Amino acid sequence: MRSSDVLGYSFSAIRLRKMRAGLTTLGVAIGIAAIVALLSFTAGLQVTMTDQFEEGFGSDTLTVSSGGGIFDMLGGGSGDSDFSLLLNDTDAINSIEHVESTVATMTKTIQANFSGNVVPASLSGINFTAYTSMYTTFIAEVGSIPESPNDTDVIIGSLIANPWDNGTIIAEVGDEVSIVWTGRVNGSIVQTNYTGTVVAILEEIGGFGFGPSDMGFYIPIDWAVKFFDTDEIASITVKMDTEEQDEIDALIEEIEDLFEGLVTVTQPAALLGMMEDMLGILNIFLAGIAGISLIVAGVGIMNIMIVSLIERTREIGILKGMGMHGRTVLGIFLSEAMMIGFLGGIFGIVAGVFMGNLIGGITSNLGDSGIMPPGSPANIPPITPIFSFELLTFAIVFGVGVAVIFGLYPAWRASKLKPVDALRFE
Amino acid sequence: MTATLEYTMESEDFIPKVIEIKNLTKLYMMGEVPVAALRGVSLSVNKGEFIAVIGPSGSGKSTLLNMIGALDRPTSGTVLVNGTDISTLTDNQLADLRQSVGFVYQTFNLISRLDAIGNVELPLSIAGVRKKLRRSKAEVMLKIVGLGDRIHHKPSELSGGERQRVAVARALVNNPAFIIMDEPTGNLDTKTGLEIMEFAKKLNREQGITLIIVTHDLEIGSQARRTIRLRDGQIESDEVNY
Ligand SMILES: Nc1ncnc2c1ncn2[C@@H]1O[C@H](COP(=O)(O)OP(=O)(O)O)[C@@H](O)[C@H]1O
Ligand SMILES: [Mg+2]
Repeated sequence: MRSSDVLGYSFSAIRLRKMRAGLTTLGVAIGIAAIVALLSFTAGLQVTMTDQFEEGFGSDTLTVSSGGGIFDMLGGGSGDSDFSLLLNDTDAINSIEHVESTVATMTKTIQANFSGNVVPASLSGINFTAYTSMYTTFIAEVGSIPESPNDTDVIIGSLIANPWDNGTIIAEVGDEVSIVWTGRVNGSIVQTNYTGTVVAILEEIGGFGFGPSDMGFYIPIDWAVKFFDTDEIASITVKMDTEEQDEIDALIEEIEDLFEGLVTVTQPAALLGMMEDMLGILNIFLAGIAGISLIVAGVGIMNIMIVSLIERTREIGILKGMGMHGRTVLGIFLSEAMMIGFLGGIFGIVAGVFMGNLIGGITSNLGDSGIMPPGSPANIPPITPIFSFELLTFAIVFGVGVAVIFGLYPAWRASKLKPVDALRFE
Repeated sequence: MTATLEYTMESEDFIPKVIEIKNLTKLYMMGEVPVAALRGVSLSVNKGEFIAVIGPSGSGKSTLLNMIGALDRPTSGTVLVNGTDISTLTDNQLADLRQSVGFVYQTFNLISRLDAIGNVELPLSIAGVRKKLRRSKAEVMLKIVGLGDRIHHKPSELSGGERQRVAVARALVNNPAFIIMDEPTGNLDTKTGLEIMEFAKKLNREQGITLIIVTHDLEIGSQARRTIRLRDGQIESDEVNY
């Protein structure tokens, strides 16, 4: 029998049971849609995260901080440790081999008041010039970064100037800003005021990480020391002149030894790798969940094919009685499963693309529309789901594959029926 | 002394044998108990014969027909169909052999979702004939059985007699070596049954098609040239009616 005739015959059988075939197809479509939506979304997430991390983390830097390290840094809090890094600790680090330069960062949470618009911000006291040479993202979009700044010079991130990202500008270059810090100095709670002038607004950076941030608020380190009346700093960023992991590991150890293990040295590049691994696991996990729904659909296919096998026993007897080969019967049943798998795959992809975009749209709206209040530790970058050719091919192949695998047993049983027995079947 | 011939040739030796059966037995297992459906049947069928197989229900008529039609294998004995021993064939070879046998069943056995022409096309489709050719062949065949105006009717839209005519058209369409019919009139009223028989006789007379018909209707059996009586899986009599 010709393949086209086998397909035509299978199709006539499917058409007879539209409802049943339709529901089974729906089952496959749901599984495929879940796979496409979740995997396209995680692929988009992966790209966005990697981009963000690569921007936010200098690949040739280390971050030295007291206490818990990375998790404190991202959370903006301070560690439980009694130990604090001091401003002049940079001198000791600078003398270690493979250290090119260092930047000390003092971090405080403040309220910034731009003529009545009060925004919470994370203030960083830094050396502007050293910071500029360390991070390529520390670039002024408006104004300029002064080489020898005045004490009152303030540089702000783009989301401080434009907190809702919708054109409502609350700060411009030249504006005065009054900074209020409430904190504890020598045991008593004090509120300190400081008036600065915005000299530069940074280019939009996006993302999150160790370096400059769109929510950042930067003042010269010397003034921070005076203002907060302390030379305790949050972290020291080290720029290295090597990319050899052996040398980097040695350097990390040396810095830790220098502070007798009281500091945490974080290598952002290694974190990036870790993050990618975690995304990979997330990917497998989500694909697994979607895969399970497809297996459920496969069991559905098997179920209707076994029902169909029983209903059509006599028909199989008639066909075999006319000289149809067992493998043609197998082909007819498998084609039916394949058509369901293929149709389910197509519908699933369409629905999956729709759902993927929907998820992507919801998450990027969270970042853009001001649902997240200004001052949140990190703004969520928009995630564009990625529907790669590989993903869509995989979806179809997987849909058809599951259908065929679960259709195999009923089809095999149909092909093995003896014509006399099948013809006697009532 | 003149040499004596050991064997005298008879004219019948020159007529090709379509079917040759020797000592055919068939056992079915009913659970643990073997049931002998056929117990040593021997017969041969020449090309162009018209044979009626009659006998009471359960006498093994269908079992015999299934062997002849290559639907099943014997337990012992030989069944030669067109010279090939069916017990030596693989499943696929057996299937190929069935493509050259026309089978008509008591219960019509049409595919209900296909229309008349779709049913008649099936044997051709299985044999790998192209769509266009098999359409026209099937259409001609339906005209021959008198259903030229019913080709797109589904079996459910046809009367019993019409259904059986579709089944006959289906059996004939692939130029079979012979046609076997298992109680083809059993589900039809007498008048319609006789019509089918008339048609079968005509096919045999005019086209020379070899026909074996199983029936328990003696009137229908008497229309054949040769009648084989089965009883309890054995041939009781095998006679030619003049
Ligand atoms: N597949 C089978 N399994 C078990 N017994 C069978 C089977 N087919 C036929 N028989 C038995 O073999 C005997 C002959 O059956 P069958 O050839 O159908 O008779 P007939 O067609 O003359 O009525 C019966 O006793 C029947 O019950
Ligand atoms: Mg019978």
